[in-house]
Amino acid sequence: MRYTEFTSYDLILLAQGLGVSVGLFLATSAIGLALGTLWAVARFYRVPVLSQALTLLAELLKNSPVLVQLFLVFFGLPAFARINVTPVEAALITLSLNTAAFVFVIAVSGIEAVGRDQIEAARVFGLTRWQVLRRVVGPQAVAFGIGPLIALLVNQLQVTSLISVIGITDLTKVGNILNLRTLKPFVVWSVVGLLYYGAAKLVAHLGARLETRLRAYNSWRGL
Amino acid sequence: MLTVENVRKVFGAATVLGGVDLAIRPGEVVSVLGTSGSGKSTLIRCINGLERLDGGRITVDGFDVSKPKELAEARKRSGTVFQLFNLYPHMTAVENVMLAPVEVLKRPRLEAEAKAREILASVGLAPRADAYPAQLSGGQRQRVGLARALAMEPRYLLLDEVTSALDPEMTAEVLAILAELAKTGTTMLFVTHEIEFARRISDRIVFLDAGRLLVDLPAAEFFSPAGGLANPRIAQFLSKMHRD
Amino acid sequence: MQLDLSVLLPHADVLWRGAFLSAEVCVLAIVGSTVLGALIAIARTASSRWLRALAYAYVDLFRNVPFLVQLFFLYYGLPEIGIYIDAFTTGVVALSISGGAFASDAIRSGILAIEPGILEAAEVSGLPRRVIFTRIVLPIALRTSVRPLGSVLVNLILTSSILSAITLNELTGTGRIVASDTFRPFEVYAVLLVAYAALTWAVSAGVNLLHRRLNRGMAQDVA
Repeated sequence: MRYTEFTSYDLILLAQGLGVSVGLFLATSAIGLALGTLWAVARFYRVPVLSQALTLLAELLKNSPVLVQLFLVFFGLPAFARINVTPVEAALITLSLNTAAFVFVIAVSGIEAVGRDQIEAARVFGLTRWQVLRRVVGPQAVAFGIGPLIALLVNQLQVTSLISVIGITDLTKVGNILNLRTLKPFVVWSVVGLLYYGAAKLVAHLGARLETRLRAYNSWRGL
Repeated sequence: MLTVENVRKVFGAATVLGGVDLAIRPGEVVSVLGTSGSGKSTLIRCINGLERLDGGRITVDGFDVSKPKELAEARKRSGTVFQLFNLYPHMTAVENVMLAPVEVLKRPRLEAEAKAREILASVGLAPRADAYPAQLSGGQRQRVGLARALAMEPRYLLLDEVTSALDPEMTAEVLAILAELAKTGTTMLFVTHEIEFARRISDRIVFLDAGRLLVDLPAAEFFSPAGGLANPRIAQFLSKMHRD
Repeated sequence: MQLDLSVLLPHADVLWRGAFLSAEVCVLAIVGSTVLGALIAIARTASSRWLRALAYAYVDLFRNVPFLVQLFFLYYGLPEIGIYIDAFTTGVVALSISGGAFASDAIRSGILAIEPGILEAAEVSGLPRRVIFTRIVLPIALRTSVRPLGSVLVNLILTSSILSAITLNELTGTGRIVASDTFRPFEVYAVLLVAYAALTWAVSAGVNLLHRRLNRGMAQDVA
């Protein structure tokens, strides 16, 4: 007998799908943040060749569809490099790199927003470039870039829906499964949409709270 | 006839206009003088409907500006020239001038354009008629503003500190045109700081102080010791302005 | 395995047709987005609080739900209520609705940037509201929002690749077909990546030119 109605088990399916989506989102965001920041640091240190190459790579990743990047890694890499890539591995690699590219741009503009004179003053006082980065530029760049960063993360959460196309059972894939079974697209996709919406709002809310905490920490409290 | 009856206007806790009465007959040139914050601009903004009244009544040829349908008729009969010109930046001078005649008075485009060029020529802007506001000087922009108001053939011309944003040279050129206009019998209501100009061309002068109309006198009387100058506030105001 | 781009040559024709389809979709979608965006932007700056809230809800919804989910909602949902349209039309509609949300932000900033005095002059000369919108507000707002609308277009181009998921044979869709025909997915998707990046770069350059040309007469004045 075919179950064309909704069952309570479907709630578990949805929860699992949401879990996969959020899990991959968190993992790729963390890696992307770390990677993108490293890229920006490399540029700050003006590492020859590497800075230019990374800038070019970032531009390429930012200005091409994530879906194509996914296909390149999932289908292309195994064929080219004779290695096996599971869907999850492909998703991790692609989304982390994609996030990193955007983080790189935000970090660079955050660093450049800190006045040159501050860096010069710090250097004249004998601070090494690393100390300047960590103590002077870093905190201010973070305060500057946290807003765009939160907006980026909310967007990247939406982007995770594409991993369903390469077969990962995320929230969108669960939606497809339920849709095919119950043939009730309005209900299914509304629920899926609402779940994504809720997750996005949660990320935005947490981000806003982090932002106020960061700004409070950074603000000048007087003598 | 333009009537202002016991008009009140309040902004939050401040009473900007506290019961002002004024009547302007066709053909009159009336100047409104007063210190900053006395409510002069607010008065004009109430007459052309940009501000809503908190009390009293304003009628333009019998049309009550507080009633939306009648306000549209009132606006057809009055034209406003602004201190900051407020020209449409994406249109040339000609297009600025002919927009309202085409859209409101429903004039045919070719006729409206010819008329617009004529008016621009009469204010000395014939060679600059196809320039954009950004390419014109302040004085030229204000002349376009004037032309734009005149294109609607208004019965009442409202001029809100139209030279306050101009340097002395441009002020002179705009005032010259306005003086000419005053002679043609156009009804004009000036809000201005140009005391000498007001004295020269006005039929009547009205003095506003802190939202109240202190005096409403014929021009000559206003400046006479027995008339306007008898009022200490006015005497103080005039002496301060002359000193500058 | 060596990188061998020559295998793509016999399929260049097919790929071009896919690219052309992508272009068609995007052109129609940017028109739809701008029209919808303008309407929403007007609603968001209206005096009616109810209208403002409704418009804000629309924008909020379509910015926090993944495009793939929106697409599936339309693609599977519309037949349920008796609307049978092909994948192309569904794609254009979905992109227009999503793009409209982003476009409304851009146009709204343009509207808010208009000096209020200009609107007062228009009101006072008796111009009806409809005329003020079509002859003054929109022409000025659109001129100043050309650049942000350009980035909406870039976004649309990248998002259009997702239409391959509803079997539309635009560039990414044909890419998949060619990849499976030639067994060279790496070459195919690498080329696609560069093609999309080049296209978005060209569009950005074009938008900049358009911005300069449209704002010719409106150059910022000097006292």
